[in-house]
Amino acid sequence: MIVKAGEDEKKMEIKKLLFVTRFDNLHFDALQSLMDLKKAALNHVVFLNVIERDKVAMRRGTGYEKSAEIRLREKANIRFIDWAETLFEQGMEVGVYIVVGSFAGQVIQAAEKESVDLIVLSPEKKGRLERLYSGSDITEIVQRAATPVLVYKYLAQKGPLAENPFEKPLLATNWSAASQRAIDYLKSLKAVIREVDVVHVASEKDLKETSAMGIQKTRKENRQKLDALCDDLEDFGITAKPHVYIGDTVSEIDKAARGCQSSMIIAGSPRKSLWKDRWGTSISKGLAEQSIFPVLLIPPKEG
Amino acid sequence: MSKKVLIVDDDPDVRLFNATVVEESGFTPIEAANGEEGLKLIKKDRPDLVILDVLMPKQSGIRLYRELKTDKSLIGIPVIMLSGVAKRTFLRSQKALTEFGDKPVPEPENYLEKPVEPEELAREIKKLLG
Repeated sequence: MIVKAGEDEKKMEIKKLLFVTRFDNLHFDALQSLMDLKKAALNHVVFLNVIERDKVAMRRGTGYEKSAEIRLREKANIRFIDWAETLFEQGMEVGVYIVVGSFAGQVIQAAEKESVDLIVLSPEKKGRLERLYSGSDITEIVQRAATPVLVYKYLAQKGPLAENPFEKPLLATNWSAASQRAIDYLKSLKAVIREVDVVHVASEKDLKETSAMGIQKTRKENRQKLDALCDDLEDFGITAKPHVYIGDTVSEIDKAARGCQSSMIIAGSPRKSLWKDRWGTSISKGLAEQSIFPVLLIPPKEG
Repeated sequence: MSKKVLIVDDDPDVRLFNATVVEESGFTPIEAANGEEGLKLIKKDRPDLVILDVLMPKQSGIRLYRELKTDKSLIGIPVIMLSGVAKRTFLRSQKALTEFGDKPVPEPENYLEKPVEPEELAREIKKLLG
């Protein structure tokens, strides 16, 4: 089913984004690479730095380290003032939050308070074991926030490879409602997208037919759906190319992005229980953690 | 009744500092934590002076200042900008917004960069509220 551009799309404009940084692996150049979004209505950036409790809380014999909190706050404040000055001079609106608390909780709170249209953050800092016990912050944010989340990754060590990560995205679709929402979102970004590659990965489990004919039939069915989707995108003014891949979804999407020289991956993120996602292996989680590309995850509609 | 001074700053410590200076100077402080709240209080309480920060959540001082100085009924309220953001940036941002089609706005009555000495702030408040 192809949903035509409608009112829902207007609501999905990116006017305000929340830029969440710990200053270690997400820098101002990442934000600058997103400034093309001004063409798609961006006019307000809100900075957020979360001082995690373990940095300021209870050390043996010292208790709560108020002075450490002040130092961290001021350090963040000075950095944000410098960044904000650049944006203010471009006529952008800028806001700041520097808060102490749990990372995911504070990101969600700030996103809600400010009613942002996009959350930009860096990949998970937690190790595998830590994630197993306390869960993945990104997964929690994607699950709880009703806002799309861009997991920003540097494609080159010296900085963003693509001047504009939205320039040539790869849209991964599995024909679900979440994928449809990602398509709608993509349409709302028409002003900044030069070309989009659309990929569907048929898992090996889906290839029930062992005959070459059966496998080809699966490919053909998906290819026809992709063609229809690409036609719809082209009618909408976005150049689109279809691709069918077969195999492990996360790694095949990553391969497709490499093959297409994509600037980012866009995918819908289905609703799942936190417990299931923490222990399971969702595609969105896999992409956020494993892919080398920036990943934009579009959450399902609320309700 | 003493004149009212609205302090708009997201940092509670700064609000407390400014409110103390305002009180010590013989005026009544009112406080707001962001531009959005600040604008509501300006319309409701009609303060005699606004001390305004720039970088805040919800709505920045740049936008609040613009709203104040483009509203005929509010334009006469003097403003002391008090921020870590440089005056040059503030003026450039206002210029950029004017270039994008907004109305031009006058410069603020005073622009102080943080941190400010209490004596300096008190002096500027008294100068404007005489």
